[in-house]
Amino acid sequence: MHIPDGILPASVCAAGYAATVPIAWYSIHKIRKGGDPRENIPKASLLTAAFFVASWIHIPVPPTSVHLVLNGLLGVVLGHFAFPAILIGLFFQAVMFQHGGLTTLGVNAIVMGFPALLSYYIFRFGNIFRKDSNIIAGVFGFLAAFCAIGLSVSIFVVVLITNIPGGFDVSTERAAIYTLALAHVPLMFIEGAFTAFVAVFLRRVQPKLLVRA
Amino acid sequence: MRFGFDEYIHLGSPLHRWDPRYKLIGLLALIFAFSFVSDLRMLPAMVVVTSAAYIISKLPVSFMLTRLRYPSFFLLAVVLLLPFLSGETIVMSIGPLDLRQEGLVAVLLIATRFLSILTIGLVLFSTAPFLTTIKAMRALHLPAILTDMALLTFRYLQEIGDYLHRMETSMRLRGFGERRFSIQGFRILAWLGGSILVRSYERSEWVYKAMILRGYGQAESLKGEFQASYTDVFALGATLLIAAGFVAGDILI
Repeated sequence: MHIPDGILPASVCAAGYAATVPIAWYSIHKIRKGGDPRENIPKASLLTAAFFVASWIHIPVPPTSVHLVLNGLLGVVLGHFAFPAILIGLFFQAVMFQHGGLTTLGVNAIVMGFPALLSYYIFRFGNIFRKDSNIIAGVFGFLAAFCAIGLSVSIFVVVLITNIPGGFDVSTERAAIYTLALAHVPLMFIEGAFTAFVAVFLRRVQPKLLVRA
Repeated sequence: MRFGFDEYIHLGSPLHRWDPRYKLIGLLALIFAFSFVSDLRMLPAMVVVTSAAYIISKLPVSFMLTRLRYPSFFLLAVVLLLPFLSGETIVMSIGPLDLRQEGLVAVLLIATRFLSILTIGLVLFSTAPFLTTIKAMRALHLPAILTDMALLTFRYLQEIGDYLHRMETSMRLRGFGERRFSIQGFRILAWLGGSILVRSYERSEWVYKAMILRGYGQAESLKGEFQASYTDVFALGATLLIAAGFVAGDILI
């Protein structure tokens, strides 16, 4: 779900960066407001690296296997650090693996990062019920990741299809949107279930890792 | 697990010697100018500038070819799909498939822009140590939260990657088969992800204490870390002119 360099017009790339700046600013503002950021930077950085690595885990979906996006889980664990973490993760992916791109970094950050922030608020909403419940952690972990992937796919598909040079005719465009969206529905369930299992695991093993209200 | 990032930083080309701050500004401007190009007549100039930058950098061609392995899937998808799906003017029919002119133009445009931007990106990040490039970003006033996170993430990425590799090996040795999908297997993979997070979190507490002992958070000056010469400024001016030329050319032609 990474848009590569060269595919989007410069105006859309610029709009992506223009939208990324206020969200990054908002996240950094919230991080600074939440106390001394120095203490949390090492935690957020190592967890960013851990997320980057965890996304390499292959989930078998016969006849193939899939890699997870994990932006929902990022929101659940990192809270306001999720957006800067995704920005850095996307930058590394573009530079190390040529996955995504430098000009499309802003657009990709919106595709992945904005839903991650949303998933943070969804999961935090679960804390108003019972903070120490495995079921609540599992249910809201599932919802957070499910919604994050759903929103990411929606933004990705709309940005990609509406900006292909040459353009599609209406029926092809509609078919492409439906096909791409439907192809990602199983991923929404897989990510949701994965995040639910991880949220329950973390609540048992290291509850400090989950975001608090 | 190795990323091969700093493999060619010793080559000593003019691009290696260019002040990283000026190089960042200049080459990023060029990259964005390339993404602005939408006229086919500008493509030969783009290829010439990209090739010249790669030749000057002295990076081997084999390096670029290995870096193209992953994005080649994307290129293949674009080449196979767009000419048949995008546009209205039919150039040729192959069985039930219609080859369209707008799609062919789009393929040429996307592929050239993509390869040019990717090549300039390789030149930008492979001609200086990666940590120096991040420090240059900080010197250009990128927020410290982002640059500190980027430095630390890069520092531990390799180690955590090795940890995942060890865990997967030991799981296989204990008979864990991940070829078939099962709820139990899926849950074990989720626990694997969770244990990577827990281990990284615990490690980060030690890292933070060690960083504080070494003076982390004290006012740090990057003055003297980078010193630009007239040649660096001239190179920046020339690159910005070329970038502006692409934008102006695309508008005027």
